Amino acid sequence: MIEATGLRKVYGAKTAVDGISFTVQPGKVTGFLGPNGAGKSTTMRMIMGLDRPTSGDVIVNGRHYSQHKAPLHQVGALLDAKAVHTSRSAYNHLRAMAATHGIPNSRVEEVIEMTGLTAVAKKKAGGFSLGMGQRLGIANALLGDPQTLILDEPVNGLDPEGVQWVRNLARYLASQGKTIFISSHLMSEMAQTADHLIVIGRGKIIADTTVDALIESQSRKRTLVRTSETTRLSELLARDGVRVEQNERETLEVYGVEPLRIAELALDNRVLVYELTPLTSSLEEAYFQLTKDEVEYHSHITGGPTAPGGPLDANPAGVGATPAATMEGIQS
Amino acid sequence: MSTTTVSKKHAVPSAGTGGVTFLRVLNSEAIKFRTLMSTKLLLVLTFVAIVGIGLLSALVRWNFINQMVEVGRQGHKETVQQAVDSFPPGSGFSLYNLPNAGLNIGILVMGSLAVLFIASEYATGMIRSTMNAAPGRLSTFGAKAVVLVVVSYVLSVVAGVVTFLLASPMFANFSLDLGWNTDGVLYSVFTGGLYVSGVALIGLSLGTLLKNPAGGITVLVGIMFVLPFAGQFLSLAPGDFWKYVPQYLPSEAGGRFLSIGHVDGTLDPWAGGLVFLGYVILFMVPALIALKKRDV
Repeated sequence: MIEATGLRKVYGAKTAVDGISFTVQPGKVTGFLGPNGAGKSTTMRMIMGLDRPTSGDVIVNGRHYSQHKAPLHQVGALLDAKAVHTSRSAYNHLRAMAATHGIPNSRVEEVIEMTGLTAVAKKKAGGFSLGMGQRLGIANALLGDPQTLILDEPVNGLDPEGVQWVRNLARYLASQGKTIFISSHLMSEMAQTADHLIVIGRGKIIADTTVDALIESQSRKRTLVRTSETTRLSELLARDGVRVEQNERETLEVYGVEPLRIAELALDNRVLVYELTPLTSSLEEAYFQLTKDEVEYHSHITGGPTAPGGPLDANPAGVGATPAATMEGIQS
Repeated sequence: MSTTTVSKKHAVPSAGTGGVTFLRVLNSEAIKFRTLMSTKLLLVLTFVAIVGIGLLSALVRWNFINQMVEVGRQGHKETVQQAVDSFPPGSGFSLYNLPNAGLNIGILVMGSLAVLFIASEYATGMIRSTMNAAPGRLSTFGAKAVVLVVVSYVLSVVAGVVTFLLASPMFANFSLDLGWNTDGVLYSVFTGGLYVSGVALIGLSLGTLLKNPAGGITVLVGIMFVLPFAGQFLSLAPGDFWKYVPQYLPSEAGGRFLSIGHVDGTLDPWAGGLVFLGYVILFMVPALIALKKRDV
């Protein structure tokens, strides 16, 4: 269990994390989602006691991380896949880390086997690919068989099999009652792994909810209707105060009404309808919708994807006004 | 890499339940120290270099004495004792100081190795893993310090003994009474080890403060090898005051600690040792504070 209250971190003139409070519950996979530079890594470093909060507080399993007598048994963290000396072998790296807690070498060999590093364990970690580095980082996090697992972008650079494995591992450990906190900037990844989502943008929490509720709240449920009598059906629907948009000839997009209701209404009024397709926006769209004003580093090529059929960006000037100077990031 | 392996491992708790203790952190740092190929290679080369430079330096002294005895200065042939006494006092050229003849190489390498021992962790990102495993932070510094002091001390003492064993027979032809029981020989063997250990602690502190291997080594070399030159120029400045400043430099005070006897115008050995110890503390305290307070 991770509890953050009013957690805030200021680097010079920049506020990386702006007074956030949240709780990560045991027995669940909690996704920590946000665009690059939103404050995810900073928050995780503060949880692990590497960075001191400017104000506020965060405790893991009831205490500050550094106050645990056996921190590796409490919390395992993958904060940075490159947190390894490049000239030391993976095996020796893990052995040195394990030694701090008197964790036997048999456990080191176990996590090496679990993470599929057996073949390269005696090789220098500096020569590892990104994916191998991630596996080593995960092996490091698992060393102490911790109660709480914190993984910062664990699937970066992993092959599909590795991604699947991380997902299964996270789900399995959560089912064992452990607290799993995984950050990602990929909503699609979180959609398949997480039970609960904390979305952060520009250092502030924008959503703290379940995956389903997030889609529910952010995606406007709409139905694609094809009919030759678009005007008539529009009028009928408008009578009930339903929002309807016509984008193409013979095609309507109807907001907030179940397809069954539309079909009934059409049947009652003898309007011929030849297609009714529910359009739920994906979690990805919901996420874009949620974070579009919070993205720190806009690409200058496009204004970023917008959900199809959505209303115009509420604040296009705000997007364009992001000064190039903010490109100088604080952390990845 | 499958779910079956995952479930298998959690059936038995195999990670133990032990907490962090200083001895365990020390063990971890010792593993780190000896699992880098470059470190082991460097230690062997350093040993060879200390002994090699020591023998060369001994040869220079032998040559000087030989010249004085055979050819003499301005036509006057000197006795062996006169030649030996003509070494500038406190300069470290005295024969009892032979074990430390190649010590400067040890200072350079062990000091740099000490900088690297922590700065390379900052450079590679390893420090985050280290600080997660031992979040008290200071225990890591302490453990690294113990490893470095032990290695520096043992290396310097063994190299000093070997240097003396190989160099002292060279002077047999002068029928000097030079052996383990000569005043200052054993003293210089053991203080040489302490001196190198102290420099290693300064290096570790610099590595911690600067987080950067190149920067740390540059500053260390500046302090130990460039400042003495600056000091020599300083002593040429008018007024008596400046003559007394250079002896307080870390390298001068430390060097004085290795010799015996009182020499006018320089610190006594014990005072030199204390001044040098003061420098070690002067570097270590800010490093410990920075390590504890700073974001990793």
